[in-house]
Amino acid sequence: MANNDIALMAHLMRRAGFGASYEELERRAAAGYEATVEDLLNPANRPSLEMDVLERRFVDWREMNALEVNQAFWTYAMINTERPLEEKIALFWHGIFCTGNSKCEHGRQIKLQIDMFRQHGLGSFRDLLLGLSSDPSMIFYLDNCMSHKDAINENWGRELLELFSMGVGMDGEANYSEDDVKECARAFTGWTITNAIPRYPYGRYEAGFIYNPDDHDEDNKTFLGETGNFNGDDIIDIIARQPSTARFISRHIYNFFVADDVQVPAWQNTPPRDEEAIKMLEDEYFRSGYNIGSMLRVLFNSDAFKNARFAKVKSPAEAVIGTMRVVKDFTSPKPGLHNLASNIRYMGQDLMNPPTVEGWHTGGEWIDSGTLVERINFAADQVGNLELPGVQDMVARVGSDGPSTAEQVVDRCLELLGAYELADDTRAQLIDHVGRSGDLIPGTPEFSQRVGQTLQLIVSTQEYQFA
Amino acid sequence: MTTTRFTGITLQPSHTIGRAEFSGPGFRNPVAMVRGEDDTMYVVSRSYDYRPDGKRITICTLDEEYIGEFARGVTTAGEGDPSDADGSLIWPTAIALDSEGNVFVADEWLNRISIYTGDGAYTSKWGTQGSGDGEISSPSGLAFDQDDNLLLVDCDNHRIQKFTRDGQYISQFGSKGDGDGEFNMPWGITVDRNGDIFIADWRNDRIQKFDRNGNFLMKFGTSGSGDGELDRPTGVAVDKDGNIYVTDWGNDRLQVFTSEGEYVTQTTGDGSLSKWGKEKLDANSEMWQERDIAQGLERERLFWGPIAVTVDDDDNVFVVESARSRVQIFRRQVPVFFGGRL
Repeated sequence: MANNDIALMAHLMRRAGFGASYEELERRAAAGYEATVEDLLNPANRPSLEMDVLERRFVDWREMNALEVNQAFWTYAMINTERPLEEKIALFWHGIFCTGNSKCEHGRQIKLQIDMFRQHGLGSFRDLLLGLSSDPSMIFYLDNCMSHKDAINENWGRELLELFSMGVGMDGEANYSEDDVKECARAFTGWTITNAIPRYPYGRYEAGFIYNPDDHDEDNKTFLGETGNFNGDDIIDIIARQPSTARFISRHIYNFFVADDVQVPAWQNTPPRDEEAIKMLEDEYFRSGYNIGSMLRVLFNSDAFKNARFAKVKSPAEAVIGTMRVVKDFTSPKPGLHNLASNIRYMGQDLMNPPTVEGWHTGGEWIDSGTLVERINFAADQVGNLELPGVQDMVARVGSDGPSTAEQVVDRCLELLGAYELADDTRAQLIDHVGRSGDLIPGTPEFSQRVGQTLQLIVSTQEYQFA
Repeated sequence: MTTTRFTGITLQPSHTIGRAEFSGPGFRNPVAMVRGEDDTMYVVSRSYDYRPDGKRITICTLDEEYIGEFARGVTTAGEGDPSDADGSLIWPTAIALDSEGNVFVADEWLNRISIYTGDGAYTSKWGTQGSGDGEISSPSGLAFDQDDNLLLVDCDNHRIQKFTRDGQYISQFGSKGDGDGEFNMPWGITVDRNGDIFIADWRNDRIQKFDRNGNFLMKFGTSGSGDGELDRPTGVAVDKDGNIYVTDWGNDRLQVFTSEGEYVTQTTGDGSLSKWGKEKLDANSEMWQERDIAQGLERERLFWGPIAVTVDDDDNVFVVESARSRVQIFRRQVPVFFGGRL
């Protein structure tokens, strides 16, 4: 099998999922690239996690109320899912449609939102916005439950336009006005929630969405140039057909799945990094009736995507999960999952608890001196653990090549970790370091350790921080 | 005068014990309980993965008097790593008392049976991970037979093993499968007054009954949510008249069957505000205010994760709810008719 096929498959799996073991890459490459794209885009064809067994071992998953319990679950799901794009698209939308536990104080309520992303995240963007508009955690997070027909709260209306669908502007122009924000908020009056049951004595129960017609503003609204007695779903229909929405979602998809773009607030005045690719996505958005899965199908099969290897800095979730899927730890329930999940937070991504409604800044902003050390220490600890089955697999594969030079071992380890590529000088330094003790001979006492150390050197490079 | 008994059963809600706490009066993700002497009971809390301080065994009374707790390997409040030191727990699953009132607790991560006095003083342990005779893999249910030997549900080995109290292997029955006498990740166990053994055959969605020697006697239950159907039954108990109680975990209900396995009735719970719960709210008046504006409080009545069931000699039926940190107690009511035959 050509190494290019493996390299391309590794790229696809890093972006559309969270990376894959070499054995999975071989299997998927044999099935073919386009077939794998289809497999990823149809998660329901793959088995879901066996929640009965998981809830049996992780007994606290039955209620899943605490934030930390949810973070542990999501971490486990990302590591073990056979539907990687289902989890990846949920993570994608979570980074845009931010809802934070710091305000909601109920992890389960946010999990229900994430479940909605899992269910609808590859479907119609209109349906997704409708789901978001009626999502209790979002309604509470952005105060729509405090927006009344005689006293609107603009928070939801504003963020729906600014952060969740259209963006403040594009091509140097504003996409909407302050009046549009107010009219949008008026249309969503009455979209509220039932009150949750508080924590004591037995634990929280979630809130539910409820439409209160008595609190809905029934007068005409003028929104984005259209006038009528609009309700929330009418507003979503209007939003979904805006070119600015196509642009905004396309840029988000590009930024998440293809290559790091400038931060979102700069999009009004900064053209897309790849205008041709954005145009392709915009066209598919309208052609498909706002279907996100269709946009991803076009994207993953495009040269713009295939040629964008290592054009993104891994998010903390990608950094942790990608390594775990290769070393194959926590492939079944065991204590300590919370500690593992905490590494994602230590690296700057407190899942289900983003810093603001704007979410996390991405790309190079994931990295600072502290988080870089966290990343390197974490990955080096994992790949250097010779007891982990995935590490043992890699050592065995290197060993099956027979006696090898340092250069051969470095290149083989790069391939096994996911067809990583190093800058020439970095690669030369690694080969020099590994070669100081001579060739590597399988069966010798130090063989496994030297392979493990080679893996550790690779995951400590700058290049390993890119997906 | 003769007495004629009728087979109808009514479960009358009695009261609810519990409150979600990591220490002190309350439980945290309880998974098992056993009645002790007089009016005492022992409740095993598994707690969250990230809060090992909540793993413990609570001793309290049926009237919700807090007596104490033990087996807390981690006593520092807050996040931390669990301890596997002698007497501590990581993934506790089951509890049983021997004839002398000693407490036996199974831990499915450590593959260890820890033994304490009735007051909670640690005395000893046994258990070796494996699949050979006397080795165990994820023990999930415990029950003493009439000879004071311990029947252990060896979950991941899909079998039942019998040990002496000090862990000497005696015998076993069962293997993986879905035929008669076979198991798929069995969980709860009980021994009735005749010495017959009932197993919640968890992933086969059924209950199986065996004689004291492990010979298959009968089975009942099929996958589903209709009357008498089961979705991952966790616990099983038998009352003094032979009626069988099953925590139907996936369906969030308790079902009752005759001694022949015929469906009788069910309840989806009838929880009420516990004494400890009320004490917490009384001490924090803002919590009462929060509850005053809460909607759908009737949800608190329903079972959420019924994981174990016990019946005592006084016809009290105890249902442990892992997701609600409480035990709902019902009284079994049986019509009793006086008078001679007409």
